[in-house]
Amino acid sequence: MKSADLVPLTPLHSRGLLMRSTLVVILASLLAGLAAIAYTARTTSQHAHQITQTRLNELLDTVESTLRVACFARDATLAGELAEGLLSNSDVLGVRIFADPELLADQRRHAGDGPPALRRAIFSPFDNHQKVGEILLQPDPQVIAARIREEVWFAALQLAWQLGMVAVAMAVIMLLYIVRPIKAISDRLHAMDPTAGERLATPRRHAGSEIGQLVIDINALSDRLVGALAAEHQLRVQREIDERKYHAIFNNAESGLFIVDGAGTLSSWNPAFARLFKIDPQSGDDEYTWLHISLLNWDSPERMTGMIRAALRENSAMTEDLLIHERDGVRHWINIVLSPVGDNLLQGVVHNISHLKEAEASARQLAVTDTLTGLVNRLGLEQRLQTLVRQYDYSQSGGFSLLLLNLDDFRRINEGMGLMAGDNILQTVTSRLSGCVKSDDCVARLSADNFGIILNDITRGEVADMIASRIMHALRQTYFVDGAPVNLHASIGITIFPHDANNIPNLLRQAELAMDSAKSAGGNAHVFFDPVLSESAEQRRQLENDLRGALRNQEFALFLQPIVDLRGNCLSGAEALLRWNHPTRGLTSPDSFIPLAEKTGLIVDIGLFMLDAACRQLLAWQQQGLDYTLSLNVSGRQIPDGLSPAKLREVTEHYGVSPGRLALEITEGVMLGDIDKSLRWLSAVHASGFRVYLDDFGTGYSSLSYLKQFPVDTLKIDKSFVRDMRQGNNENTLVSAIIAMGAAWVWKSSPRASNCSIRRGTCGIWAATTRKAIFSRGRCRSRPSRTPLGWSPSGWRR
Amino acid sequence: MHALTLPLLIGLLGLAELASADAVVVVNARSGIERLSRDQVTNIFLGRYRGLPGGGTAMPIDQPESSALRAEFYRKLVNKDLTEINAYWSRLIFSGKTTPPWRTFSSQEVATLLAGNPDAIAYLERGQIDKRFRIVLEFSP
Repeated sequence: MKSADLVPLTPLHSRGLLMRSTLVVILASLLAGLAAIAYTARTTSQHAHQITQTRLNELLDTVESTLRVACFARDATLAGELAEGLLSNSDVLGVRIFADPELLADQRRHAGDGPPALRRAIFSPFDNHQKVGEILLQPDPQVIAARIREEVWFAALQLAWQLGMVAVAMAVIMLLYIVRPIKAISDRLHAMDPTAGERLATPRRHAGSEIGQLVIDINALSDRLVGALAAEHQLRVQREIDERKYHAIFNNAESGLFIVDGAGTLSSWNPAFARLFKIDPQSGDDEYTWLHISLLNWDSPERMTGMIRAALRENSAMTEDLLIHERDGVRHWINIVLSPVGDNLLQGVVHNISHLKEAEASARQLAVTDTLTGLVNRLGLEQRLQTLVRQYDYSQSGGFSLLLLNLDDFRRINEGMGLMAGDNILQTVTSRLSGCVKSDDCVARLSADNFGIILNDITRGEVADMIASRIMHALRQTYFVDGAPVNLHASIGITIFPHDANNIPNLLRQAELAMDSAKSAGGNAHVFFDPVLSESAEQRRQLENDLRGALRNQEFALFLQPIVDLRGNCLSGAEALLRWNHPTRGLTSPDSFIPLAEKTGLIVDIGLFMLDAACRQLLAWQQQGLDYTLSLNVSGRQIPDGLSPAKLREVTEHYGVSPGRLALEITEGVMLGDIDKSLRWLSAVHASGFRVYLDDFGTGYSSLSYLKQFPVDTLKIDKSFVRDMRQGNNENTLVSAIIAMGAAWVWKSSPRASNCSIRRGTCGIWAATTRKAIFSRGRCRSRPSRTPLGWSPSGWRR
Repeated sequence: MHALTLPLLIGLLGLAELASADAVVVVNARSGIERLSRDQVTNIFLGRYRGLPGGGTAMPIDQPESSALRAEFYRKLVNKDLTEINAYWSRLIFSGKTTPPWRTFSSQEVATLLAGNPDAIAYLERGQIDKRFRIVLEFSP
């Protein structure tokens, strides 16, 4: 593990810091010494020459007086003596003494050139201004050179030992303060294991030095490295765990997972994928099994490869449902999701969705099927119509007849015999209908007892008419419910595509109009759609709109038809009648709008308006001191909530009208509905003190059990009996019998007076009640008159 | 009192002597020499060059060694005192190339020698001058 450069260093290693720095110090010292010596030699030379000059001058000074004498006296002997004396000095090489102009003495120690001679003028001993000669002193160059050498040598020696000392001191300092701590750090580093928490110790006395800082830095670096190593290790462990986890997910997933590249080559897939496509599972060892995706058992492999291209091109996930087939021909739907994962690779997820597809198909079937009869429902019929219309648009040939069929009075079966019986009959109807049409025709149950039939390719009225007759005939056959025979018939509306309409909503509406028309005509008929039907429907809609506006525009008015008590030939009250003052049609009779008002629910608001108006009228009478009663017609739609007993009480109390003065007229049709509700309403109304008239008595069922059941105060005998009354004829007898019966039932009875006119001037109607009151409609040339101004008892002729 | 008086007297006497000493350079009247420059006189008396203008070698004669006149003379001639003059001659005598002036023991002897030798040259007090001598150089006072 340890490499060569980690071998511990010795302090005196040839490349060691100490050796290097010592060598450098010595070299630098040598260079400095050489420079110093050169400088010293130069200065010493100059100095030596100066010294020589000085010494020679001093020498001359000592002999100057004698020299003066010698030159003054021109004494060669004396001069010679002097020259010899001067030569005895080692600095002097030669002496020459002149006494102008003769040469007094010339002596040299030895031959040889020297530096320029020292020349000095000699003056007379008696006159310092009189020059009497001169002397030339030749210094000895060898002496000077020797002196210089000596001085330079001395300087060099001194420098050498000084530098030596410095070098040694440097080496020692380096060793002590740098090399040794570094060596110690280095040795410790070699043996140190940072992961075990070992760290460098700061060398003694180096806490604040660069070496101390170095130790701190190395320790900090160690900490960071150890931290990074620990994090790295943690990551590796985590990655291994993750990898195992994902591998397990990959292998155990129920969905097929795979990786495919842009060329369609599968590089990886999980066991679920292998099971789905019946291929060998990819073994863990053999990671390089390649398989082209189009070799799998797709129904259409090109869709798969197209999807791969599209996903890569769009760089977004794609999903599609594709079919695969097994060897035995069984097909499966699979849902495949492809997501790009980069590097021209796609990750795919595959589910077998065959069961979902099946469920979806059955749900779709259910949606268009009627569960009771197994026929298609309204939705199914409409889908079929759409298909046919589309086909016609495409081919401009074909066409069909649409029949809407409603069983007449079927509600009666349900109410009278129970829903089970109704269902049985509907199923029988279904089978009879199916028997009347071709197999590719469509029979649908639209709702309760409504059926729709599509007759393919039937566009001629006579053919449709024939089939409709056949259907009518089949349906008229007796049904048996629990052995009991039931007879039914139906109303059929027929419309022909494309003759009558070219779109489905119109077709359906027209068929319905035709059927309504058949129904209005009493049922048990089939009616072809006629544009007139459409027109009258339009008028009805217009009327409905007008009716909605009528209340708001106060177009309704209350008319009063007087009621005369025949016993005293006096006016006892009136019946309130509604008139509609239509802005364009003028005064309109209730027969033309009340059925519509009942159908649309407007009857409720109209009823409240009438109640209010009636109470106001009663209040007016009360204030005039008249104790007339007023009766209101109440429709079945107003019971029980449209004109609730509470509302009745509230309004009468508001006007301060006694409930006994207000009579409510109902027909027995009211009681044919929900008997319990009607009974509760009647009882409540009666208990509140309102009087109840049973209108149109004598027509319809005129069931005596109702009379027994319901609290009715007065019977109004239908005008059809009263109108034809003659003395002694049947009608007269009948009315008398009713009155007698009413009296026996302790009721007042009254022939209905409203819309009739009694042709003969006098009425001979008898009615007996326990209250001794017999009413009759007045002698009426009277017409219902507008209240209140048109109303006056005096206007009545008795 | 006496101790002070004596040196004062001697000084006064000396001062009188100096004031009275008025050395002049003279030659034998027969010598034919009229004047001599101070340098000529210096060369002759200090042995440097003793040739005379009219030919012949001059013979300088000194006053007695300790005479005031002698000191007076040298002081006026070369501004040296007698010890210096003696030191000068002591260096030259050694080589023997030249000789000091002729020594006498009295000023009479000087006069005698001067009168008797035409090449002689000497210095005398002005008061000693007579017709045998001719003054060739006087020192300005």
